[in-house]
Amino acid sequence: MEKVLLKNLGREGAHTVDSYLSGGGYEALRKALGMEPEDIIQMVKDSGLRGRGGAGFPTGLKWSFIPKDAPEKYLCCNADEGEPGTFKDRGIMEYDPHLLLEGMAIASYAIGAHKAYIYIRGEFLFAARRLQEAILEAYEKGFLGENILGTGFSLDIYVHRGFGAYICGEETALLESIEGYRGQPRKKPPFPALSGLYGKPTVINNVETLACLPAIVNRGAEWFASIGPEKSPGPKIFGVSGHVERPGLYELPMGTPLREIVYEHAGGIREGRRLKAVIPGGVSAPLLTESELHTPMDFDSLAKIGSMLGSGGVIVMDETTCMVKTAYIIMRFFSHESCGKCTPCREGTTWLKKIVERIEHGRGVPGDVELLESLCDNIFGRTFCPLGDGAVMALRGVLKNFREEFQYHIEHKRCMV
Amino acid sequence: MTTGLVTLKINGREVTVREGTLILDAAKEAGFDIPTFCYQANLSGLGSCRMCLVEIEGQRKLQPSCITPVMPDMNVFTETDTVKMTRSAMLEFLLSNHPLDCPVCDKGGECELQDLVYKHGPRKGRFAEDKVRHHDKDYILSPVIVKNANRCVQCMRCVRVCKEVVGRGVLGAVGRGVHQEETSFLRTRLDCDHCGMCIEVCPVGSFMRLPYRYRARPWDLVSARSVCGYCATGCRLTLERRGDTVVRAIANPEDGFNRKLLCARGRFGYDVMNSEERIKTPLVKERDGSFRPVSWDRALELMKEAILRAGPERAAGVASATLTNEELYLFQKFMRKVVGTANMDSTSRWSAESSLKFMEAAGIRGGGTSVYQCAESDVVVVLGGQLSEENPVTDYILRYINGARRNTLVIASPRGMKLDSSAQLSVRTVPATTGAFIAALLKALVEKKEVSMEGMEAVKGLTVEELSGVCGVNADDIRWIAARLLTAGSVGVLAGTDMLRYDDGAEELALLVRLLENTVRDVRVLPLLDRANQRGAWDMGVHPYLEPGYRPAQRRGHDVHGIVELADSGGLGFLYLLGEDVLGLYPDRAGVERALSRVGFLVVQDSFMTGSAPMANLVLPMAMYGEKHGTMTNQEGRVQRMEAVRRPEGEVRTPLETIGRAGNLIEKDFPVVRPGDVWKEIQKQVPGYGEVRGMEAFKGASADQVAELKPSFSYAVPERAEGEFWLLTGNHLFHGARLSQHSGILRELLGGCVVEIGSTAAQRLGVGEGDMVEVEARGYRERLPVRIREGTPDGVAFMPENFDGKDANRFFDKDRVVSTVRIRPYKKQGE
Repeated sequence: MEKVLLKNLGREGAHTVDSYLSGGGYEALRKALGMEPEDIIQMVKDSGLRGRGGAGFPTGLKWSFIPKDAPEKYLCCNADEGEPGTFKDRGIMEYDPHLLLEGMAIASYAIGAHKAYIYIRGEFLFAARRLQEAILEAYEKGFLGENILGTGFSLDIYVHRGFGAYICGEETALLESIEGYRGQPRKKPPFPALSGLYGKPTVINNVETLACLPAIVNRGAEWFASIGPEKSPGPKIFGVSGHVERPGLYELPMGTPLREIVYEHAGGIREGRRLKAVIPGGVSAPLLTESELHTPMDFDSLAKIGSMLGSGGVIVMDETTCMVKTAYIIMRFFSHESCGKCTPCREGTTWLKKIVERIEHGRGVPGDVELLESLCDNIFGRTFCPLGDGAVMALRGVLKNFREEFQYHIEHKRCMV
Repeated sequence: MTTGLVTLKINGREVTVREGTLILDAAKEAGFDIPTFCYQANLSGLGSCRMCLVEIEGQRKLQPSCITPVMPDMNVFTETDTVKMTRSAMLEFLLSNHPLDCPVCDKGGECELQDLVYKHGPRKGRFAEDKVRHHDKDYILSPVIVKNANRCVQCMRCVRVCKEVVGRGVLGAVGRGVHQEETSFLRTRLDCDHCGMCIEVCPVGSFMRLPYRYRARPWDLVSARSVCGYCATGCRLTLERRGDTVVRAIANPEDGFNRKLLCARGRFGYDVMNSEERIKTPLVKERDGSFRPVSWDRALELMKEAILRAGPERAAGVASATLTNEELYLFQKFMRKVVGTANMDSTSRWSAESSLKFMEAAGIRGGGTSVYQCAESDVVVVLGGQLSEENPVTDYILRYINGARRNTLVIASPRGMKLDSSAQLSVRTVPATTGAFIAALLKALVEKKEVSMEGMEAVKGLTVEELSGVCGVNADDIRWIAARLLTAGSVGVLAGTDMLRYDDGAEELALLVRLLENTVRDVRVLPLLDRANQRGAWDMGVHPYLEPGYRPAQRRGHDVHGIVELADSGGLGFLYLLGEDVLGLYPDRAGVERALSRVGFLVVQDSFMTGSAPMANLVLPMAMYGEKHGTMTNQEGRVQRMEAVRRPEGEVRTPLETIGRAGNLIEKDFPVVRPGDVWKEIQKQVPGYGEVRGMEAFKGASADQVAELKPSFSYAVPERAEGEFWLLTGNHLFHGARLSQHSGILRELLGGCVVEIGSTAAQRLGVGEGDMVEVEARGYRERLPVRIREGTPDGVAFMPENFDGKDANRFFDKDRVVSTVRIRPYKKQGE
């Protein structure tokens, strides 16, 4: 498949505006600015593009919720990319920043926003600098600022660096953070489409989602819809990490089977070992085992088997991996990143972490696994935002498939592997 | 406003509620109590504690009932196994890192966490890990607030109440996840209102009262429902004692219009009752000037002799407007019937004429306005004063209602105040030019809309620009306010005591109200009074021109000015100061000191040795709030009953008993009475009071007209030399009236007397917060620390009137509209 999102990955000098223009860059923006905003929204709806941040919400539909007559609206690009195992947006921002900017300009024009923010993960200092340089270039060339390409449309884009909190990837916490408050999720409703940044209608889209837009405008909705499965079409970046021969970013059609990603593109398990488990879409997604490798990597297929596509961050673990330790690392992450707002997530994830930590360190007692399961039930579906649910899903995934390793740890005070 | 109704089912029971009602409230209406932590009425919804999760048919997940409004035909379940399991689960989570140190926690016995665990919680603990500890020792945040973050349930009520109600926003959360801690910035000492609202709303023992620390258990306490004595907002509070010591004042949300709201004075000023400085026995002055204790019999005998010796023409009395209605009623009856004079007043600070005009303008007609009604008006105008400090709880109510409703709030006052930040427009008037400001507003109104009304002809000759030049408010701003007033569906006006002090603007206000009644129609006027029962004192007829129920007096007496003049001329044989410190408050201290020294026989009955007391021939001890039964009428006209929490100590007596016995001694048929007897008489004599039943009733006395209003419409800027300051005075946030200076807690909060100036003035003088300056006028000098008040313009200074020894009234001249002072930086020699 011809690459759309990662065609410049690793190419020296690709990030400059001249390089981008030589590859036909900003043509889509020129074309889009000649269209009616409603037609662009319809085009994105027809393309079947679904949000690449994890939830898979139809992008065109999200845009259509924005009230047309609101005087002030915002576009926010979610570049917080905090989900462990995920590094796809970074690839786009570092090597093809103008692709994102062009996508943002198209989206802003479609929804009528004149100010857009890129909320970027604080650790992505390099990417943030690249973006800032690209923004300056774009202003210089007239792709941003007042009266873009003589069409009368104006847009300013700001880069806002986060400060290292995973929760700020949650869209309403992201808004709070931009506004200068503590990064904690807001209650919904009202949804950001009606009352978002500074109380104004706001669209929040993931980097990869926005980066798909120039191609959709250039080649048409039908072209996009023809890639991958009908219900979730388009190209998708899979970031493969862990015990594979060739970890890295792979842009493949949505719906590519997991086995193909792991064994063909990523070169299979390192040192010829056997695969033990795969997390298909960032640590919140329940892990899968060998028997589920045939699953097509798209939103619906993974949801059907009780996991999720999430961000497409594929973490591969081979037979030498201790699953108790895996669970501990994951729970340590969630407990550390829980924002503290709601009771079940704040107290629950920490409690889970402490129990798993005990088991991992040989201080488990009979009943611990049952307690973990019971606590998972008490957390799941009761938290303010999906962070707590994500923690539970991840732990449940490990417990479901590797319960005996926990029991072994408790009994023998050491790893099974 | 949504007025539609929604019908839904809760646990199968059909209930119809107003559109926008939260499921939580709808459930309560249907008879189902849903437990909560983070929910707090009148604060923004948070939905974070997850205690209130309920099942809704058709929804995949449980929903927080405290932030979810009802929808038509919703089918809600609040008592299913899943919901019950959830409640237990949330409590188990909250307990997991809770220190469970109930035996040493002040909150034990009245803790919401204890109560809810008892009702819904798990019966067994499963948490066997190390608990998170934020700190080992409790830390002190203010002289009244102590903090234990380990017990916190992270409901954020403290943070929200501080920001949304009190308007200070000095609390926030630091840290993330289980390390989240609601506290001050870097746990440093708070520079705030010290109102203790954070303590009041805290469901657990996280924010605690420092003065109450380890003093009692809730079940040890004897409580009584009382009314705060520190301003006329008239907050209801519950006083609690252990043994004979009053240890706490709390707001009881079930009881009283103020619900959980109290300010620093109300919540922490109770310790004035326990003060060692109180007068405990009657004292008579010896020839050498020293005081000797005497029996009550002897004291009253001396009082009787003095009254008879002086005769009605040469006798007078001033009673404090902080006494109960019963005491005030009996006082005026005693003065009129027994002493035989109408020489009386309920203030030392303004004239009888001035009070008549103010009554007429600010709402005696109609018998009262609820502060909520006033605050909920489309346009709310605050005139004069320093509402945020003089009537703090009124300020809280205005702030949170404005925050929720986003109605238009306009402030016009000489001084900056905290409420400015909530106002759409806040303008600074030159002191004592409220009249000119309102006249300008009237003119701007008739410019926009033709009004034919009596009294308006004179207005037509004025110009907004000219008046703007007098009051110092931009003409465009005046026209902006006028435009808002004309398009409003309802207007609320809050009139401050500046109008009384300077006899300024009340007539114009009355005209404005009448005009708005003809155009907007719905006008609500609320007087902002600084003495707890000022309105009651007027209702009871403690006034030289008015008898109870605003009946014109058959024979007029002297007001406080007349009384002081009479005394100065040597024409006063007997003066009874009941709880009122004329020497401490009357403008022109030297003059009043001379006058009091010429009184034949001065009786001071008070709780403390006030400024006037050492000049008295006879000093009588007096019971204070918390030690007596009775009723009080707040600025709204709300009549509220108060109970005694304890008996007065030793020889201390209530004014009621004193007056009754003294009266009885002179006239045999003047009865010694109990509060209930006087109350029955009040109900007969004062219109409006007849309907009052129970602990509280709305609408006090009303009168059709007490004064003829004829504004002169001629204005001038009060004199002030270049570089001088107009000096204003009044209550301070931590000091209301004269009593509070004897409260150790309140004294600690402020430290001492200060002088407040704006930041531009401070810059001009080259002084900063806390630097010493010398205030000088009329031959007096006082060295005081500076407090900088944002929003106060250069040329305006404020000094609280509540400090013995730093008496502000030395700087005032009763013959000047506004007195002026010079202020210069004070440097110690050698600096």
